[in-house]
Amino acid sequence: MPNPYIPMLTKVKSMVSENEVNDIKTFELEFIKEEEYKNFNYIPGQYAEISIIGKGECPIGIASSPTEEGTIKFTIKKMGTVTSSFHNSDVGDTIGVRGPLGNGWPMEELKGKNIVVIGGGFAFSTLRSLILYVLDEKHRKDYGRVTVIYGNRNSGEVLYRDVLEEWEKRDDIDVVLTIDREEDDWTRKVGFVAAIVKEVAPSSDNAVAVVCGPPIMITTAQNELEKLNWKAEQILNSLEMRMKCGIGKCGRCNIGEKYVCIDGPVFSLAELKQMPKEH
Amino acid sequence: MVIIVGLETENKDIENNMQEIAKGLLKEKKVDVIIGYKKGTLPLLSQPIIIDKEEDVDKLLWNNLCYVNLAKYLVPRVPRFVDSEKGNLKVGVVAKGCVGRGLIHLASENKINLDEITIIGIPCNGVVNRQRVEMEIGEKEILEVSVLGNNVIVKGKDFEKEFPFDEYMNELCKGCKIRKPSLVSKFPDLCVGECEEYSNIVDEFDDIAEFESKTPEEKWEYITEALSVCTRCYACREACPMCYCNLCFVDQNKPVWFGKTTDLPDIIVYHLIRAMHMAGRCVACGACSLVCPMGIDLNFINRKLEKIVKERFDFTSGLDPDTLPPMVDFKMEDAEEFMLEED
Amino acid sequence: MDEKILLKDNIGKLYSELEKEYKFYAPTKVKGNIAFSRISNVEEIELEFLNSKVPPKDVLFPQKETIFEYKYEGKDVIIEERKDLEDKLLIFGVRPCDAYSFKLLEDFFAFGDFQDEVFLKKRESSTIIGIGCNNPRQSCFCTSVGGHPFQKESTDVFLSDLGDKYLVEAVSEKGKNLVKKLSWLSDAKKADIDKSKELAKQAEDSFTTKFNFDLVTKVLDENFEHPVWQEISESCIGCSSCTFLCPTCTCFDVIDENDEYNNRGRRIRIWDTCQSCLYTLETSGHNPRPEKIQRCRNRIMHKFSYYPSNYDCVGCVGCGRCISACPVNNELRLIIDKILEIEEKEKGEKISA
Repeated sequence: MPNPYIPMLTKVKSMVSENEVNDIKTFELEFIKEEEYKNFNYIPGQYAEISIIGKGECPIGIASSPTEEGTIKFTIKKMGTVTSSFHNSDVGDTIGVRGPLGNGWPMEELKGKNIVVIGGGFAFSTLRSLILYVLDEKHRKDYGRVTVIYGNRNSGEVLYRDVLEEWEKRDDIDVVLTIDREEDDWTRKVGFVAAIVKEVAPSSDNAVAVVCGPPIMITTAQNELEKLNWKAEQILNSLEMRMKCGIGKCGRCNIGEKYVCIDGPVFSLAELKQMPKEH
Repeated sequence: MVIIVGLETENKDIENNMQEIAKGLLKEKKVDVIIGYKKGTLPLLSQPIIIDKEEDVDKLLWNNLCYVNLAKYLVPRVPRFVDSEKGNLKVGVVAKGCVGRGLIHLASENKINLDEITIIGIPCNGVVNRQRVEMEIGEKEILEVSVLGNNVIVKGKDFEKEFPFDEYMNELCKGCKIRKPSLVSKFPDLCVGECEEYSNIVDEFDDIAEFESKTPEEKWEYITEALSVCTRCYACREACPMCYCNLCFVDQNKPVWFGKTTDLPDIIVYHLIRAMHMAGRCVACGACSLVCPMGIDLNFINRKLEKIVKERFDFTSGLDPDTLPPMVDFKMEDAEEFMLEED
Repeated sequence: MDEKILLKDNIGKLYSELEKEYKFYAPTKVKGNIAFSRISNVEEIELEFLNSKVPPKDVLFPQKETIFEYKYEGKDVIIEERKDLEDKLLIFGVRPCDAYSFKLLEDFFAFGDFQDEVFLKKRESSTIIGIGCNNPRQSCFCTSVGGHPFQKESTDVFLSDLGDKYLVEAVSEKGKNLVKKLSWLSDAKKADIDKSKELAKQAEDSFTTKFNFDLVTKVLDENFEHPVWQEISESCIGCSSCTFLCPTCTCFDVIDENDEYNNRGRRIRIWDTCQSCLYTLETSGHNPRPEKIQRCRNRIMHKFSYYPSNYDCVGCVGCGRCISACPVNNELRLIIDKILEIEEKEKGEKISA
């Protein structure tokens, strides 16, 4: 069994800025060893502990879908010491990757169901992975209707414009983009995510909601869903916690007896209600 | 089912007097709660206790095992001292000299409002050096401790040993000249036991005489030897009433200034820098030494710095709430040999 | 009879034979405290001791440990894994509570899909020589967690202190092989074995602290939000001595130490504590456990409620170090009493823990 603390080495293939203020970038990483890439079998919703070796490590959700072959992508926001050093790196730099970690979105259980994706801000990265996976021609028929509600503070913050535009053109997915306040060139919806959820009123019939974003957005959106008769078992969250080892050993991500790094980060609302309010 | 262990002392008069005063304060509603000490569950310990009812005053204890610096519970205020409607409650603190000094110093740094605090001044004659006694007894369990006159009598299953109290008290207590909080002399009715008028507190710093007599190399050797067993648990920092920073320098990570391992350089740097941050603020309560799980006598570094502060700035912490500590203040007469040219 | 006798005078012989093959750790006196250190001569061993200040877990899980070292060559990174994880270790003089802690630590580090190689490899390469407790302390309560002052399980070789000699019993395969190698040990007599049994019974009868942990777990599971936690956490100053001296505490932080000028460094792990307010602090500034009461509660819940959910036993070995270490005497027995009072008040009857 390989030592789970030793990172696999990758190189930065490209760095793309995702927003106007330039503090969110998507990194495309290429594994140095071919067989390590082949063994890196992940599902949407999982994350990896990535590091600039010498500067530190942090857990980042995998933004690419397993259907996008050759490389893996991570979207990183510049917030602290480690994320800043990512932003200061260049193409060709070595990045350590430990993963895939976590439980991921339950792709098997989502089969045959309608999926309502509700995302806010830059937490959309693992949702990108999920949607690309579902829309891929190999899997599309396994899943029902897909509705995406994605909100941001302003239009400059909208991530993944290229794939969003492609999705808007398709007829097997409904994409509803929204920003908090009116803007001159914005022709799509305006309003907080929870208000748009109320407006779109997605049906809970044979459906699962996947909610990911800042805590306030999650709470308000979930309240709206519950008013629309969604049950707690049908709503899934991806939690964020401070994580260091990612493998359930360092102890800091525990909520009750569960560790967010291995038992999560995906939990249903029903499960969260059973756990202490320490997240 | 826990066995409560008591300590028989001659301080019974002081204890009774303190309980009377505490009862009076609660009755007349001059305070809402009182924090003091009560009997511990191990022979060499006492516990802090917060009471708000008159009938509980007989739980308040005074003996030579009252270690914890109660000023710690005021900054930040523990939840019991804050009422959701009334805001900050009026707190009575059973304060020996160093605890009172702590409260007054915190008031000078604007961390507490002395109008909300009543100091019940206790004349302390020192606390037993718990770690030293335990190390002397070695690997035998101590079951009973009493202090009679100048004797600390320690009993176990098959041993009984006596220690001279004046030698086996906390190092700091030996030369302590500030046995009661200074404000007590302004309010003699709150003084438990005999009240002394003192306005010329002179700390002689006898406890560090031996350390000072060493050469610089010997001092370095002594410091590194003593600190080498540190496990970086930060109990010293948590027990110190003056360490109230929201983010301690050692926890900074934007950028990381200092290492957190038990490598000797990392250990030395942490302790020396913390001592520098305490210069002019340490009230010589010895809480840092008394909580250290490894039994390191940490306080000697701070004591040396306090002596330097006294010599250079003529300042002793914790005596006057209206005087700013020297490291946060300046006077035009302050010496500046290293920066300005001499006129 | 398989039991042997080791005269205390022959400890030197034991040491000089074994140190050729093993890194020999034993209780030593370091600045007035007993600590498990690697010894370089037999004079350093302290045979008369109650227990060490810092538990022997720090031989296998030290305060600071290198996970790997690395160096940069241009933009490439070369990772150097540790090569000393399979060196043979011998830890002499481990009390049954601490030996049991090794089992709990092993279960923890091996749990789930990921195995903590760094600890587990060292555990596999280590041999534990345990010593029974003739004089358990008032603060000891190993019998309440399924332990015993003369418990042999979790050790490889078990010694009973009979005064001037030890009764030697091989427990595991590793232990049997070791005892076989020490062919110069004399055979034990029936009187020795009887004496050992007598000492075990005396030690067992001397316990004053006893808990019913099944009941404690049940009450904790039902009372996460109970106001008793306010009372329990009131006097705690967050010094974290309890976690640093606990044989089953395993929380750690991971840090990269970089030597900029020489393009190399190491990734290390150091002990961390859930009692620190920074433990769960996220970069965004959000802190799931900002209040002291939550952190105090988390430690007790972790040991006596969460751990049993995952492992079917409490995460405590009954060594009593946290009880002696707490500087404000906010000790475990008082905490458990307060928790059980909840049940008493509900049932209206006195519960003897």
